[in-house]
Amino acid sequence: MDAKIAQMLFSVIDELNQMRPTDDHLVKDLEMPLSGDSGILDSAGLINLIAVTEQKAAEELGRPLVLTDERTLSQVNQVFQTLGTLAEYIHLRLNEKNDG
Amino acid sequence: MEIKTFTVADLKTALASEDFWRAKTLPITKHRALSYSRNPRADENDPVLLVAYRNNRVIGYLGILPDKIFVNNASYKLGWLTSWWTDSAWATSGVGAILLFKALNAYDQRIGVSGGSRQAREALHASQKFMALKPLQGLDIRLRLNVTKDILRRFPAMKIFRVWFKIFDVILDEVMNLRGNFWQRRNNPCQRLTFEHISAIDEETDRFIQQHHRQDLTRKKKSDLSWIMNNPWILSAPLKDSASKRYYFLSRANRFLYLGVKVFEHKTEMIGFFLLKVRDDRMSIVYSYFESRHAASITAAAVHYAQAMHVDILNLYDERLVASFSKLRYPCWSVEKNTRGFSLSKAFADIPLADCRLHGGDGDLAFY
Repeated sequence: MDAKIAQMLFSVIDELNQMRPTDDHLVKDLEMPLSGDSGILDSAGLINLIAVTEQKAAEELGRPLVLTDERTLSQVNQVFQTLGTLAEYIHLRLNEKNDG
Repeated sequence: MEIKTFTVADLKTALASEDFWRAKTLPITKHRALSYSRNPRADENDPVLLVAYRNNRVIGYLGILPDKIFVNNASYKLGWLTSWWTDSAWATSGVGAILLFKALNAYDQRIGVSGGSRQAREALHASQKFMALKPLQGLDIRLRLNVTKDILRRFPAMKIFRVWFKIFDVILDEVMNLRGNFWQRRNNPCQRLTFEHISAIDEETDRFIQQHHRQDLTRKKKSDLSWIMNNPWILSAPLKDSASKRYYFLSRANRFLYLGVKVFEHKTEMIGFFLLKVRDDRMSIVYSYFESRHAASITAAAVHYAQAMHVDILNLYDERLVASFSKLRYPCWSVEKNTRGFSLSKAFADIPLADCRLHGGDGDLAFY
């Protein structure tokens, strides 16, 4: 599942890069900072990332994923610190659904 | 980062608190907070302001204007987004995104957006949570040229020639006044019309509006329009005060007023009502109610008021007023198209909105 999540996030990055200037392209690296003090995404960029991630999760993982609920919003800087922390969070959320 | 949600009740408490107004960055002005707290369509527990704090400093905020929309026989509560600001020093902190999604959650995903900056529109588009309504295709009608203002804004160094530009403006205005007077003598479309001014909606106007607002998306009533007229977000003042310097959005103008105009034909028959807003050199018809056969008379009345108020630009948004204006052949410097966009969240996707009528003041646009 972890590899699938990382692959899904890389396809999110591909899609976001189509809308960004070449100089601002995001790299497909789990260490890449997203939001927070060293982040590179502004509000519109983060909103876009969330929307495309939810959409790709449904398409590629076949699972609905909500990243705009109060639980996620209360820890935005932790969840979206890097692409890797986002992958871990998605893994956690999807496993919770499996457990439920 | 901490996000505080202020309901109407919380805002009333904040209005009485001295500490709230001492902040280096204000998330709202007092007169705007008063307006929010008096909104007739808001309940005490409705969230109306989200504020992001970091180390007790305001780093972002988002206002929400509770409203209702009406489609056929059903009504739906929603909140219009307004005054969305984030401190550029915290641009990558996610604060703008958090505020937006919290607003959507607070209103059960039922949110509307009117106008907005380019950045705000881009962010909302990126969220994929909104759908655009058919925009209002209005007009910017330039009645006075005001060369001085335009030149000095583009070339501030030309300030030394200000007097000469002013003289040039006066001459051009006189030329346009003469043309306007000739037009009035030749056409005199207001000959049969009389007017009554109101500062709040009276019973007669309320009955008239209710006969003409069935297709309106927001179906404003007496209390709604009176609230707008008497609770402005922008105050007429010659200078910025300490609060307006600490608030990002416009809260002051040299001239800001609302005026309700009842239009009568043959002195007794009410044929229309419009609410006009004047901000500095611009007049906008933000709400108008009339039957289509009277569109020419109402348009002529709007032009008549714009001329009397010595504004540079008249904004019309009602499509019947827009169509009538070209037929009037009124002398003006230029006429440009002006679009006002509205979006609703996709929670309204199943509601038939295509035939609903929007006004130029809907959302938060009546207040700016």
